[in-house]
Amino acid sequence: MSILSMCQWLQDTQIGTSIRESIWTFPIIEGTHVLALSISVGLLMVSDLRLMGYIMKRRPVTEVYEQIKPWMFAGFAIMIISGIFLFWCQAVKAYNSIFFKTKIVLLVVAAINAIAFERGIYRNVDKWDNALVPPMQARIAGWASLILWAAIITCGRTMAYTF
Amino acid sequence: MSSLTPFFQWCDNTFISQAIRNSKFAFPVIENFHLFALTVLLGSLVVLALRQFGVIYKAQPISEVAGALRPWNRWSLAVMLLSGILLFLSEAMKCFTNTSFRVKMVFLFAALLFQFTIYNRLAASEDKVAPAGGKIAAAVALCLWFGVGLAGRAIGFLG
Repeated sequence: MSILSMCQWLQDTQIGTSIRESIWTFPIIEGTHVLALSISVGLLMVSDLRLMGYIMKRRPVTEVYEQIKPWMFAGFAIMIISGIFLFWCQAVKAYNSIFFKTKIVLLVVAAINAIAFERGIYRNVDKWDNALVPPMQARIAGWASLILWAAIITCGRTMAYTF
Repeated sequence: MSSLTPFFQWCDNTFISQAIRNSKFAFPVIENFHLFALTVLLGSLVVLALRQFGVIYKAQPISEVAGALRPWNRWSLAVMLLSGILLFLSEAMKCFTNTSFRVKMVFLFAALLFQFTIYNRLAASEDKVAPAGGKIAAAVALCLWFGVGLAGRAIGFLG
């Protein structure tokens, strides 16, 4: 079974069809996906800016990052769940969209960047926790994260125009 | 509302409106910036509200968190308003008959008024624990600004 025919099957399921043909369900899921940007990427931005050495410099990196983390993850959970339902009801269009494919690739790169940060320089955070400006590797992780997420938002918004 | 018709018609016909309408890319690009600014604006509000609710950054006085976020909040608001005005100009007559747009404007003016009269003053508190008033104000500000976002999204969907 090709990926395309799996997408076709997925959007023809009862759930896919009912979301697509609904008056309220689709806009509500879509609105949630857009507004939850504030809780996911919005909070991520604050910890990235701390890593880049731009805000809350007098506060330890771990304080700024760890306290915001559960809320940020909750935001990303909302994003993923609402995103899956959006994909579910228009999988074929998404499959054919270059912006969707780019978005998925960028999401994977953003995840790799986050994991590389956690497993890399962040392991030694006790050595630079109070640094006003964190070491280069941490700053790069922050910059990469913000740039990637800006690109992901752009792809997500643009794919909706081309649908 | 009919007395506003000439104003909306004028907005719909400025050379900026026409330039945006005539360009294939202008509208999506402006809307993208509107969305970036939404992320930053609502994100900074959520962080400050969480601080006022007493769930994060309890070691920092409320004013310190508000101060750190202020430039991001203000600049994103400026981008939001500017991009929003451009989007509006390009489809002013569509907005004129759009109920969601009217609801959005009511929420927007309420949110701006609330933020610049009451909320900013409470967020300047140097306390470590927000008084009940600060918590309620944070909740009200969140509801108003998310209301703006929700009604804004509805402009495209519901009419």
